[in-house]
Amino acid sequence: MLRALTELLLLAAICGPVSVFVFARRLSFVADALTHTVFPGVVIGFLFGGASGVFLGALAAGLLTAIGLTLLDRLPSDAATAVLLTSMFAVGVALVSRRTSYTSDLTAFLFGRILTVTMSQIVETAVLGVIVLASLAIGGRAFLFRTFDPAGAAAAGYRVARLDLWLNVIVALVVVAAVRAVGTVLVVALLVVPAAAARLVTARVIPMIVVATALTAGAGYLGLWLSWTASVDHGMRVTSASAVVLLLVAAYLVLLPLPSKGRRRDLVA
Amino acid sequence: MIWWLEAVLVGALGGLVGVQVVLRRLSFFTMALTHATFPGVVAAAILGLNIYLGGAAAGLIVAGAVAVLSRRRGQNTAAVTGVLLSGGFALGVGLVATQDGFGIDLSEFLVGSILTVTGRDVATTAVVLALSAMVLTVLARPLLFTGFDPAAARAAGVNARAVDLTLLVTIELVVVTIVPAVGTVQALALLVAPAAAARLWTDRLALLTPLSMGFGVVSGAAGLAVSTRWNIAAGAAITLSATAILLVSLAATRTRAVRAAPSRQGSPVRQAAASPG
Repeated sequence: MLRALTELLLLAAICGPVSVFVFARRLSFVADALTHTVFPGVVIGFLFGGASGVFLGALAAGLLTAIGLTLLDRLPSDAATAVLLTSMFAVGVALVSRRTSYTSDLTAFLFGRILTVTMSQIVETAVLGVIVLASLAIGGRAFLFRTFDPAGAAAAGYRVARLDLWLNVIVALVVVAAVRAVGTVLVVALLVVPAAAARLVTARVIPMIVVATALTAGAGYLGLWLSWTASVDHGMRVTSASAVVLLLVAAYLVLLPLPSKGRRRDLVA
Repeated sequence: MIWWLEAVLVGALGGLVGVQVVLRRLSFFTMALTHATFPGVVAAAILGLNIYLGGAAAGLIVAGAVAVLSRRRGQNTAAVTGVLLSGGFALGVGLVATQDGFGIDLSEFLVGSILTVTGRDVATTAVVLALSAMVLTVLARPLLFTGFDPAAARAAGVNARAVDLTLLVTIELVVVTIVPAVGTVQALALLVAPAAAARLWTDRLALLTPLSMGFGVVSGAAGLAVSTRWNIAAGAAITLSATAILLVSLAATRTRAVRAAPSRQGSPVRQAAASPG
């Protein structure tokens, strides 16, 4: 229980800041795609290296996706994302479907096993988290510049394509860090919902990061507690991942009636 | 052999409606629909209602919510779509978890089960195919107009919002029909890959639709053949066939793009646009 909470709080600290950039650069679909494209990596990694191969496989698949998105520039960007998502996921499904009873593997991939998260997984998450936050701190200003004024950023000497690839790689690392413990359903939610909810409270970047992180941590704690009490005290089966996601979405809906923040000109749009 | 018919019909349906999905960049919205209809399907099954109706109702709510919420200042369509996708899917998953020995298998929803389709499913697919073909034919001109120049379309008296809404409902209907056969992720593949491949070959709308439908049908049939021959999940095999067609198209049209580029630069339209006045 304590380990599950530690993992969720770690993820809150990582996903809060990253989600703000995902929001500003409109990368929700890319984040969603990455959670699917790491699947074949997970499968192949498991076939070759057992449990320890999973991590490397997912990492390779995540990086491959980030590069693939840059290469498929002849298609409309959303179509390219969709094609990568579906084809790589299909490779994973095709591989597991050759075994009998593959459906339980799929379910584990969807929901992860947050309650049985191991100490080594927490360490993995923490290490990747430090890398992610460090690269975000280094690239943050450039990402913001590129988001709000691509032409200006290019004129100022930034390589826009390289910045985009860098951010995609950061998102890929987050997905890899989180997916085995908490499953795909929760990862997408953690990368999309917190910033969208935080944007309802403030239009400034740093406060958005703080609010997004706090919301995620709160929903993580409350979600775990809810699913725990519901299943232990009331005999109801509540998946902890769904509980966390639904709480986050509930927070978003509660914040919706707030008056719009930010002047029309300087939106984190 | 009923599943061969279903695979071909599903491929044609994906190719037909996919043209609009690709041209209007609705891929993520489609992905959200495939996931967000899930709670509707589950709720309908728990209550003993028709699961197609449940999925359709949930899809309508999502389409409406995306339209309303993304108009809010500061929010964007991508983020709102993501919020609804994860919320809807988590709700469906939560509902499934509360039920014991539930008839709807989550993995089946994701991967599809084309080998268990019944005559009724095939009939439903055929009806939806006919219906969407009819809608897209009737609305062909206003769809083209609003798609490329919404402001001019409104000025010319076209009810752009009604046209867009009709299109979204059509896409939703197709998603609800395709998902039980091939699964959520593969439904997205059938709606995007054939149309994206066709788009590489031609700029003409009249050729785009038949080409895209052809690619869809070939993907469906080839995928099923691969699936039975090598014992691979059917949905995955269909997706990979569609991707293969797209990759071949990318490679084959590479020279076409290079050859077309200089002539396009010299086209009278481009020259007129480049020299103001």
